[in-house]
Parts: sequence; C-alpha cells; structure tokens
Amino acid sequence: MQKRHPLATFALYATVILTCAILLFPIYWMIVTALQPSSNLRAYPPQFWPADPQWNVFADLLAKHPFMLWFSNTILIAFATMTISLAVSILAAYALSRFRLRGGTGLGLFILTSKMLPATLLIIPLFAIFRSTGLVGSLWSVVIAQATLIVPFCTWMLKGYFDTMPPELEQAALVDGCSPLGTIFRIVLPVAAPGLAATALYAFVVSWSDFLFGRTFLTTNDESWTLQMGIASLKGEFVTEWNVIMAGSIMASIPIIIVYLFLERFLVGGLAAGSEK
Amino acid sequence: MTDTTTTHRTGSTGGLIPRIDFSAPRHRAKFGYLLLAPAVLLMAVIIVYPIILSVSISMQDVRIARIGDGAEPWTLENYQWLFGSGETWHALWVTFKLVAVVGGLSVIIGFATAMLVNQKFRGRTAARLFVALPWAVPEVVATVIWAWMLDSSFGLVNWVLLRTGMVVEPIAFGSDPTAAFAAVCFVMIWKGYPLMSIMLLAGLQSIPEEQYQAAKVDGAGVFQRFWYITLPNMLPVVGVTMVMTTLWVFRDFAIIHVLTQGGPLGATTTLSILTFEQSFEFFRMGQGAAVGVLTMVLCAIISRALVGRLAKSVH
Repeated sequence: MQKRHPLATFALYATVILTCAILLFPIYWMIVTALQPSSNLRAYPPQFWPADPQWNVFADLLAKHPFMLWFSNTILIAFATMTISLAVSILAAYALSRFRLRGGTGLGLFILTSKMLPATLLIIPLFAIFRSTGLVGSLWSVVIAQATLIVPFCTWMLKGYFDTMPPELEQAALVDGCSPLGTIFRIVLPVAAPGLAATALYAFVVSWSDFLFGRTFLTTNDESWTLQMGIASLKGEFVTEWNVIMAGSIMASIPIIIVYLFLERFLVGGLAAGSEK
Repeated sequence: MTDTTTTHRTGSTGGLIPRIDFSAPRHRAKFGYLLLAPAVLLMAVIIVYPIILSVSISMQDVRIARIGDGAEPWTLENYQWLFGSGETWHALWVTFKLVAVVGGLSVIIGFATAMLVNQKFRGRTAARLFVALPWAVPEVVATVIWAWMLDSSFGLVNWVLLRTGMVVEPIAFGSDPTAAFAAVCFVMIWKGYPLMSIMLLAGLQSIPEEQYQAAKVDGAGVFQRFWYITLPNMLPVVGVTMVMTTLWVFRDFAIIHVLTQGGPLGATTTLSILTFEQSFEFFRMGQGAAVGVLTMVLCAIISRALVGRLAKSVH
C-alpha cells in the first residue's frame, strides 16, 4: 500500500467531515431547536447554537402531554413484536436452511414475496378482522400487524445467516446424543448470536418506528397511543411548539439510535446477507 | 412456538403421544415440518387470509368492511371507479415521479457515501456509523424535523435560500404543489439513502482487491478503475438496491401522511396515500381495497426482477 500525499489525506478528512456534517445536520437541528427558548425559534437570523439551553422543555413535554404513556406503549409493542417474530422465525429459518422439505422452496419464495406487500393494503382486511375480534384499540392489534412484515424479513435474514454456518457442529452434537431441538438452542443459536442480534435489532427498530398500524388501529383509544402517533399529533396542533416537538423527537429516537450504534456492525452483515444474495 | 416445543417434549419423555425419535434419519423431515409449522400457521392467518379478504373486499360495495354475515354481493363497481376516475391515474403518476426522483438521487448519495467510507483512513468505522445514522431515525421524527426546517415563515431552508439570493420570497412548502412534492422528496431521500449506502458498501467490499492492483499495474487511472472495475462489479447490487427503494417508495405512508397528508391538491397523493384516504378517511373501503390490490400487483411485478435473482438462492 503506497503512502498517501498529506494533502490528499487532508482532502479526504475534509470531505468525510463535511459529508457527515451535511447529512446529519437535521439531527443537530432537532437538538438545537429543542433547547432554544421558544422566543428564539422565530428569531431572524436563526440561532445556530443554544446559548441559553432550556432543559425544562423536557419537563414541559411530560407535563403537557401523556408522553410516558406513549413511551411505555411503544416499548411494550416493540418488545412483544421482537420476541414473537424472533421465536417464530428462528425455527422456520433453521428448517428452511437445513432441511430439504417438500414445499420448502415454495414457502421460501412466498416469504420473499410477502416482504414486498404494501402494508396499506393489509390494514383494510386486518381492520375488519380486528373489529370483529374486538382488538381495535388494543396494543396486540399492532403487534400482530407488525408480524406480517417482520416475520418474513427476519426469517429470510436468519436463513441467510444459518446458510453461512457449517452443519458439521450440529451433526457432531446429534451423534453425541443431543436432541434436535437441543441442538438448535445449545449449538446453533450461540454460534449465530451476531445474526440473531442483527435480526432482533431490525425487528425492534421497525416496530418502534411504526406509524401506519398505530394510526389505523389505535387512534380511537387514547390509552394505547404510541410515540410516533403522539409526535405526529403534536405537529398537527393549532399552535406548533417546535421546541416541545423536537424534545419529544429526541426522546423517541434516542433508544433506537443507541441500539443502532451498538449493533450496527451486526446489522450491516445481516442486511447484506439477507438481501444481497 | 409453544406447539412445537410441547409436542416435541411429550414426544421425547414418552407421554400419551407415541414417542418419536426426531434424531433418527427417517424422522428428520418431520422435525423440519414441525419447526416450520408456527411460521406457516402465523402467515396463513395474518398474511394469506387478509390478502384473500382484501381481494374480496375490493369486489364489494362497502363503506366499512366487516367479515362474516355482513358481506355484500360481489361487484366490479370499485374497479370501474379505479380505472375510470382520474384519481388513480394521478396517484400513479405521482408515485412514479417520486420513485424516479427519490430512487435516482438516493442511489447517487448512497453510492458516493459508500465509496467515501470505503477509503482507508483512521476513524472510518465511526464515519461508517455516522453516514448511515438517518436509517435509525424513525420516519415520523425525520418528517417533523424536516417540516420544521422547511417551515414557510421561520424555517432554516427558506432563510438560507433568501440569504443566498436563490429566491426572492420564501417558498411555501405547505401550499405550493411543486414545493410540497420537493419537500416529500427531501425527507424520503434523507431516510432512503442510508440503506443504499449500507448495501452498496457491502458490495464494494466484495470486489477483489487483485482486480484493482492488476489495473494499476496496467496503468489504469482512478477514473478508468472506477469505470471498468467498480461499476461493472457493482451493477447487480445497484439493481437490487434500486428495486428495494422503489418498493419502499411505493409502499411508504408515514412520511407523506405526516408531512402533507397527500396535499396540496393531491400533489403528493401516492397509491398508498390514496388507499388509506379512501379506506379510513372517506370510509369507502371497497374502493380503498381496489387501489391496494392494484398497488400489490404493481409491487409484485416490480419485485419479480428481484425475486427472480433471489429465487436461485432458495435451495
């Protein structure tokens, strides 16, 4: 590898920093806006640095809106969706990866295609089903609806991951008298931990960010609103308090930004394995 | 999940159910089917049945769909409306415009950022993390941030445009049809390029280093290496990411609904927005389902390109 000219190195760093600064500016602006005193929001020219950060905007947010309720609803939905989707997709993905089953190819293709279904179509029949089962307004409606999109994706992603693992380990375990199900839990899953982490992250992020299902099934019941619905409703209010909205937005994105920062390397491998082949 | 575990456990501990040894070769396939069962059941109930139901709803003259005894006789009225009204064709046109603009620009930004963080430099792990960060920002949050930046009176974008003299008076992103369409494009590109960047970076990393070294030995310059090695190697990956982005733009709902609600004057009403509007705002679920079925057919046609390639990897 030849050494780079110092000027080229400088140009490279300058480009990287400038690119990140431009691409991430909206995130910076969200934070700055949240901390501005509301009188500064309409200042001309705009204030690019919060000289006098107003931390009580968060207290304001909690006092004026049922933010904690939205937050806990969202967490419940995200965890339930993640757990159910993973449990189902681990088993299915393993079967599709390791067994040559009659109908396996057809099922694989079906899973692949259902990743591409428009969710706006599914909400109409799902609404009819939830209405007749009394699930409209219940958090379960969103968990079930999420599974329509997340289970196929997770199955496909995990299958791609299992395909890359050599089957010899499991065969050795079976010969040593481990049960087939025990093989999955004791041998396959520990080795597949990065792939599982990526899949779990994906399921969590998708379900945390959902707006369509919540907007359709939960609107009528204030008690089960999610964060995304809450934030969208703040924007629709007559007087838009941008600093309060941005404070809510920060709190709605921090959990998944943290998850993303920790698990990004797994995710990149998983997404690439699940979609590229 | 529970089904499989219990059946298997009782099987191996020898309960009432006859004992089946799943590790025996002739029972291997049965174990495979058991593992698939929960997923197949779940998908039959929450995907296959709803699809059949929505086709059936699209052929009924209903305002609020119900299942069971409330079903109406089948009719093709909704499809006559679908193809006869200007709304569908307009929504189709808006969707295609959006696909072209968002797909084109986010593949360019995605490719450029992927090439950038594929360079060797100190701190590139962090750079890779930051470049794709908008992927993790929820769509609604991304939309409200941009709505504030594009605000017609106090928004930052208008301030910059006025300051640099690019416009004489502030652009009304909320009420001008062209500006509203542009606003939707901004948000969608910002949310859409990171996935492109992630996948294209994975593609770049799989190009063998030897090809570049051989080209260097032969005296190929930077642009020649890009044109003759990077691009041909990347075309399949670019194709896949383009199809995925197209499908995403086709199906996306949150961004447009929160930003413009499909307005002004239908300038940002895509097929997804039209489906939702018909079903849950005008409560004409029959017509909504017809639009949805049309969207599904179009998505299926588009994804065939992708599925054809991917099908090879299913056994």
